[in-house]
Amino acid sequence: MPSGIALAIWTVGMCAGVCFVTCSVLRASFLKYFFLNLYVIFAFSADLLRQFVLRYYGLQSPEYIYAYYYTDCLLTIALFVAVISLASRIFAELNLARYVRFVAVLLLLGTAGFTYAVVAQSTERLATKFAVELSQNLYFVGLVLTYLLWGAVLKLRETRTRLVQMVLSLGLYFSAYAGSYALLNLAPNYEVVQYLAPILGCFLPISWALTIMRYSEDSRLTPARLVAVPR
Amino acid sequence: MSRKLGALALALGILVGAMELKTLVTAHGKTAVILANGVSPVPKLPPSSSN
Repeated sequence: MPSGIALAIWTVGMCAGVCFVTCSVLRASFLKYFFLNLYVIFAFSADLLRQFVLRYYGLQSPEYIYAYYYTDCLLTIALFVAVISLASRIFAELNLARYVRFVAVLLLLGTAGFTYAVVAQSTERLATKFAVELSQNLYFVGLVLTYLLWGAVLKLRETRTRLVQMVLSLGLYFSAYAGSYALLNLAPNYEVVQYLAPILGCFLPISWALTIMRYSEDSRLTPARLVAVPR
Repeated sequence: MSRKLGALALALGILVGAMELKTLVTAHGKTAVILANGVSPVPKLPPSSSN
């Protein structure tokens, strides 16, 4: 069984997810940010399933390992769709939403094809290795997409506060995970480093919930606050 | 048509960039993969031998 700290982080993360969905419903934003809500609902369901499997089989059991990595693959796809939904909203005013969806489908198929091509070379169990690799590859595609999206937000002088903050949260989230991975490699023996990834898992629903609670759909940022562009 | 080709080029560029970044980040990694989902404890990687 995981330690008390891990269980506490797990509980906080699940409560944060419930908090975000509740705030979205209360602020009548559930459908506006449907794919973000869907990701958080999937994450909550995956955590419930993982907790159930962990309770019955244990942390290092094959059942928990497979439940963890297969649900993780589904969650990464859901997160990718959430990033694309934000991109669609940002580019909607330029009538480019259709092309954003086209790029998204190409990216998803391309990543799946690339992953299959890599995994097919290996003699390991194909389905499991494919799930883990696809999850990791999509994570990096999501990371690059989020940074491109942030660039677009700055370039287009996007002023919708909620959109800007949600994209920024995603950028921080992906970057912090990469940072925690680096720390895990630099100092694998420190116990506190093991808790970094689960703590970061709480960050996204909390930041989205705060954004939904603090700002309305009509809230706008002044472009000058986004970036000072020299003329 | 040119917009569709542009979209195709963009998708390929993102994919290549992402895979380059992955290679850079994970090339010297000794620990498990990067996973960006959820708050549950991360188990070890699935067994690598076929079963």
